[in-house]
Amino acid sequence: MSSIARSGPVPPTVPRAPKGSEARFQRLRFFFAILRARPSFAVGYGIVATVVVIALLAPWLAPYGPMTADPSVYLLPPGGNHLLGTDGTGMDIFSRVLFAPRIDLAIAIVGTFVSATIGGGVGALVGYYEGQQTWRRAVSTMVMRSADVLQAFPVFVFAIALVAVFGQSVKSIILAIAFVNTPIYLRLMRIQVRSIRQLRYVEAAYVAGASDLAILRRHVIPNSIAPLVAQLSVNIGWSVLLTAGLSFVGAGVVAPTPEWGSMVAMGFQNVVTGQWWPSVFPGIALCITVVGFGLVGESLEVLLDPERRQVLSGSLR
Amino acid sequence: MLLRYIARRILYVIPQLFGIILVSFLLVKLIPGDPAVMMLGPTASEQSLAALRDKMGYSKPLWQQFTYYIGAAVHGDFGSSWQTTRPVTEDLLQRFPATLELVTFGLLAAIAIGFPLGVAAARLQSGPVHKFAGYYRLVAGAIPDFWLALVLIFVFYTRLGWSAPPLGRIDMAVAPPKTVTGSLVIDSLIVGDVGALSSSFGHLVLPVLTLGIVNAGPILKMTQTTVTRALSSEFVRYAEMCGLPRRVVLRQAVRAALPAVVTIISVLYGFLIGGAVLVEIIFSWGGAGQYAVQGVLNADVNPVLGFVVFSAVLSLIIYLVVDLIYFALDPRTRG
Repeated sequence: MSSIARSGPVPPTVPRAPKGSEARFQRLRFFFAILRARPSFAVGYGIVATVVVIALLAPWLAPYGPMTADPSVYLLPPGGNHLLGTDGTGMDIFSRVLFAPRIDLAIAIVGTFVSATIGGGVGALVGYYEGQQTWRRAVSTMVMRSADVLQAFPVFVFAIALVAVFGQSVKSIILAIAFVNTPIYLRLMRIQVRSIRQLRYVEAAYVAGASDLAILRRHVIPNSIAPLVAQLSVNIGWSVLLTAGLSFVGAGVVAPTPEWGSMVAMGFQNVVTGQWWPSVFPGIALCITVVGFGLVGESLEVLLDPERRQVLSGSLR
Repeated sequence: MLLRYIARRILYVIPQLFGIILVSFLLVKLIPGDPAVMMLGPTASEQSLAALRDKMGYSKPLWQQFTYYIGAAVHGDFGSSWQTTRPVTEDLLQRFPATLELVTFGLLAAIAIGFPLGVAAARLQSGPVHKFAGYYRLVAGAIPDFWLALVLIFVFYTRLGWSAPPLGRIDMAVAPPKTVTGSLVIDSLIVGDVGALSSSFGHLVLPVLTLGIVNAGPILKMTQTTVTRALSSEFVRYAEMCGLPRRVVLRQAVRAALPAVVTIISVLYGFLIGGAVLVEIIFSWGGAGQYAVQGVLNADVNPVLGFVVFSAVLSLIIYLVVDLIYFALDPRTRG
């Protein structure tokens, strides 16, 4: 994040940052001032931080093992020794809900970063080199049409098919998520780079003799990456939903492993007969997590856009 | 002018469709599991397996299989499913109306929730309605539809007993109406069969509500953004200065926001055809998405391919229709 803050034009309302630790301190103060002004952003960061901490500390926070089934206490309602009750096999729902973000977040974050790296990289190259020559136009058309084809697939069936092809494993789910999301980043980056490369400072760098790679790396990409970063957070939320959905139909994480979607699926039959807790709690956890990442994405969208950040920091005084 | 536009669009769509079929063909061929073994069981002799593979064309090189598939697909033949032992085209034609009924009513519900709320939130820049719209926008995109479906079933079926059980589109005991459009609700309306109407409507309520609540989010967001922008634009200020009544001004602003809203609705429609799978499964809807998922999980190749092609064609048709609506709504595109 710091590299982005550095590369964007500095808004006039924020005093030019001094060097070193003081600069970091000022940036932090600005950040907290914004969180005070827009409490919903603070909620978002709070949720994401909490979920990450829970994922890291799950073994110490959970009262029971996430996969220890005690058949003598199956389907206990919430309360007593089991805070959120137990499921049909006698596993403690609270412990499982705490353990689930480990796998859900890991899959979503890795999948999203893979798609952002590949999609963003290819998008930047296509956007930068796209030009008048026939072969360049042909290559870019081909890449964009392939993206069209990928996006024309019914997302969910496509993801299930990918998991079926590569075998049911965490790696396959990551791959499916990466596949489904890559075209989004490809488009986003291409459009950004196309508009940035026409700017004067890119021209100046070219005239000064910088190589294409150096121009891309030093000037074009840092200035066009902001919307991609904002998209990342929102996309992690979606990917958690997709992972859960895949697990729900049985094409994702395999059953006893604690995962929110498969927990909802395991409680499916119980819900119909009246025991709501095995399904409802993991769903709520899922929902809160996705909301958190959505809010962080929204805040990044504002903070990384120089114009909107200026409006916001102007309203702080 | 219009006809030429449509013709160009279709010309542009053909290579895309070809790409879709090619990718899904290769993908589906890669799914592990031998259909011959699945059909005949593990005890079948090597000879009968080879004979069956020959009969189904699986022993030929991949490119020959593909050209054969494309050739047959152009004539509407997508092979047959070994699970149902029927031609895929027949299976899909039987199931797609169910999916379309669910998705169309679900989308209508989403519009009914999202559009008025969006207009109201744009009109009132503060107050409870604006606040509620903000929260709704935030949460709607985060609710897993399969979870919401279960919660609705628990509340309205298990606890209150108001709705039909989540088992299919109509009660087992009730005879479905004669097929006209494929939608049970509309068909029983046309035929005038009150029993079938109330039964099929009762089964439709919860899944449609699920899809409506979840998918109203994007519609709400788009409506609110574009109407807000329209309300702060020059032409609205001019209309206000001329002293037109508030209601008329609002109507003009909403009219200007319509093309963007129609676009987001079309995107949602295309997405939902394959995206309502989870809701279909929970309510045992017997739709096309459910059929495709069954196919993937059982190495049944042809249903998956057929579904992908069908839904791609359907969403392309939807996009085309939406473009035409766009033509009618936005005078700038008429040139």
